[in-house]
Amino acid sequence: MAIFTRTTKNLILQIDEFFDNIDLGLLVFREGIKAYLHGDRESFDRHIQKVELLESNADRLQRSIENEMITHSILPQHRGEVSSLIDLLDEIIDTIKASLTEFSIESPDIPASLHHHITSITEASVSAGEELIPAARAYFKAPHTVREKLLKVYYFESETDKVTKNAIRTIFQDMSELDLAKKSHLRYVIHHIGNISDNAQKAADMLSTMAIKIVM
Amino acid sequence: MIILFLTSGLLLGWSLGANDAANVFGSAVGSKMVSFRQAAIIASIFVIIGSVVQGAGASDTLGRLGAVNAIGGSFTVALAAAIVVFMMTKFSIPVSTTQSIVGAIIGWNLFTGNPTDAGTLTNILSTWISGPVLGAVFAVLLYILLKALKRKSAIHLVRFESYIRTGLLIVGAFGAYSLGANNIANVMGVFVPAFNLEPLNLKLFTLSSQQQLFLLGSLAIATGIITYSHRVMQQVGNNIMELSSESALVVVLSQALVLFIFSSSGISEFVQKAGLPAIPMVPVSSTQVVIGSIIGIGLYRGARNVNFRILGEIAVGWILTPVIAGVLTFFSLFFVKNIFGINVGSKADGNAGMGLTVQTTDPRVSEIMQYLILCLIAAGLIAVLYYYLLDRKKRTELRKSEEKFWKNMK
Repeated sequence: MAIFTRTTKNLILQIDEFFDNIDLGLLVFREGIKAYLHGDRESFDRHIQKVELLESNADRLQRSIENEMITHSILPQHRGEVSSLIDLLDEIIDTIKASLTEFSIESPDIPASLHHHITSITEASVSAGEELIPAARAYFKAPHTVREKLLKVYYFESETDKVTKNAIRTIFQDMSELDLAKKSHLRYVIHHIGNISDNAQKAADMLSTMAIKIVM
Repeated sequence: MIILFLTSGLLLGWSLGANDAANVFGSAVGSKMVSFRQAAIIASIFVIIGSVVQGAGASDTLGRLGAVNAIGGSFTVALAAAIVVFMMTKFSIPVSTTQSIVGAIIGWNLFTGNPTDAGTLTNILSTWISGPVLGAVFAVLLYILLKALKRKSAIHLVRFESYIRTGLLIVGAFGAYSLGANNIANVMGVFVPAFNLEPLNLKLFTLSSQQQLFLLGSLAIATGIITYSHRVMQQVGNNIMELSSESALVVVLSQALVLFIFSSSGISEFVQKAGLPAIPMVPVSSTQVVIGSIIGIGLYRGARNVNFRILGEIAVGWILTPVIAGVLTFFSLFFVKNIFGINVGSKADGNAGMGLTVQTTDPRVSEIMQYLILCLIAAGLIAVLYYYLLDRKKRTELRKSEEKFWKNMK
């Protein structure tokens, strides 16, 4: 029984650590984009390194959590759903890493007039992800509070869509000085920032169903 | 020859194990919270303890319903009941062993012209209704309590499930104990009047004649659990309603409580002292109680959760069981008596419960029985040890393969 209690404790710690990684990843992404817009390359590179570390850590934890659940038959009825949720959360940090790497390799030239648009998109998209983490934690401790926490995720996701649309409209209608290749590149970069909130929404949809099932 | 007659009781015991253990651990195994192997080992051990320690109470009631007063009759009654239970189990219908044996005893009464004690029959029939109702009430109350506790404590889901699993094992052990205490009468009750064995001294404790029979019967139940209960466990666990882990715990606990209440003379006396009518010591159908409990939770959560078609099939099985067992017993007795010329019992004078006319005090029978019991206990212990070692080996292999995986990853 003692071995089992230890396994339970380890698993709880690993799940919490996994959520911490995603949460930190979102924070670092926000700071990384700020650094890029301010032209602080050194700080930006530091943030990329941090995200890479967090992403690989999240991958390790994801595998470990799934292994522990299977080998010790933990959460037999919810195992599949919990694994899928963790997978969706892992996609968020994967997107963060991919987006920052994109900035690093492709170095998109962002006109100063677009900075506030990019900041708003990043802010809204990251907020959607950040609001998801407490909801995911609540699934394990207070599932009846999950749905109310998810409302903010949906709000920020729709905000991201709105500001993304505005930014793209500005790029294509108001910035005639940019050539089409540049416009397309900017649109591509903006979409990838917005993907964070899309992934958060997917995870929120899943979490919402999981919470109903567990509360019933 | 007399030992040979016991085989039908042992077959009934096996059927009971195959069928009724599902009531104790079915919801736990069906919800995947407990592995079948764990469930089978715990259920087997505690059924044996319950049968030997507390099996006498419910046995007396069956004796009053109809005291089968010839070993040939006991054999036929138990055989007919066993066949009915086995057939129902074969079709994965969670049938009641109690109903089967009651039907068979009434069949014997009809054949031999013995009156069926109306009071005892009413007592038994009333538990067929009160058992599931009580099970449903307990289940709903416990379910509400557990849900409230979970919500208030804000316990982590992983930890909560680990507590539930431990709870399922403990409550399952209690359920198996109660099953043994309450239902061993179904298996060996009809043989008790026919045997008068010498006490068996096992150094730590001594087993009376009745306890030796109960031990033998419970070993047959354990064999049934290990060899054939897996299928019915899946039926009880999943088909009527999809059970969550906490529902599984509640179902097992309410079933164990109901069975315990109907086999504990202490509780009965306590109730009497409080000025209430005594609780009858009756072999309650664990199947009915479990299904009552599952329906209770299902209705509490909304009737749509219950699969009423499967429920209907089970209900038909319940009605058919005593009828088929009675008819089968009646015709089997006719054949055994007229074709094989074996005495199947006769009409008892006066009190039906006192008609114990055939008893064996042959010391050789006692000796054979004692060796049989000791051999079976030894075989059981070896089987448990084998299971344990197999499980340990599997876990070690899993751990090693996981360590190897991570080593390669690094």
